[in-house]
Amino acid sequence: MTTREDFTHDAMQHAPQLFSTAMRMARNRSDAEDLVQETFIKAWRSFATYQQGTNLRAWLFRIMTNTYINKYNAQQRKPTETELDDVEELFLYKRLGAVDQSQLSQSAEDQMLSLFTDDEVKKALEELPDQFRIPVLMSDVEGFSYKEIAEILEIPLGTVMSRLHRGRKSMQKMLYEYAKERGLINEALLSQGDDE
Amino acid sequence: MANCQETLNEMYAYLDAELATERATEIIGHLKVCTDCQSAYEFHAEFKTIIKAKAQNDELSEGFLDRLRECFGDDALNDA
Repeated sequence: MTTREDFTHDAMQHAPQLFSTAMRMARNRSDAEDLVQETFIKAWRSFATYQQGTNLRAWLFRIMTNTYINKYNAQQRKPTETELDDVEELFLYKRLGAVDQSQLSQSAEDQMLSLFTDDEVKKALEELPDQFRIPVLMSDVEGFSYKEIAEILEIPLGTVMSRLHRGRKSMQKMLYEYAKERGLINEALLSQGDDE
Repeated sequence: MANCQETLNEMYAYLDAELATERATEIIGHLKVCTDCQSAYEFHAEFKTIIKAKAQNDELSEGFLDRLRECFGDDALNDA
């Protein structure tokens, strides 16, 4: 039997991760803190229905996601087809050759990835529309399985997979654009590579 | 063994540990012999790692954890 003390202790262990995800959802500290607080208050009130053996982490993320969707009217269940440009497969990978070699000193592969700052990765995530951002956060940042994400978001498994796929591609494109804005990309290098 | 197209199509599912063992073995078999797919795979594995590392390091404000602990009090229940 989980006591209320155990429950509080266990829930608090997840606070830092919940907060980071809340930051990516709400996009500002004050709203993110509110979101985690509301999540814990709701979890505490629902303690009676919490069953031992339930995946507490997934349960907390589910409460937080629902709170976010309801509070911010997130466009979770709307049709999504036109809300993200279609990005070609392997978008970033195919552009590794465009990294201006003079900017950095490691191998091309490492360069592309080390190019991105923490802020750029966060910004790319935050710019994704909700219905893509939440699956990417849940998978890439929180490591939930497709099945867990389907349950957290109450959407079919196939929808989880397609949104993840499109969200990730779109993020790659945004990150590439940020690198370009910072002058780290020389697209002439790319066309040279194609000619070879 | 899987071919290049299948491997690229299922790369994310493999990366996310979502493929059945048998299918994962077929993908691994292809990655072992195809340097192009292996290289694309390594890039995306690294990309996933980087997203996680860079998007999860938000510092908590001072006092925030204390405020969170207050969520688990009798007051919170009485407000219900």
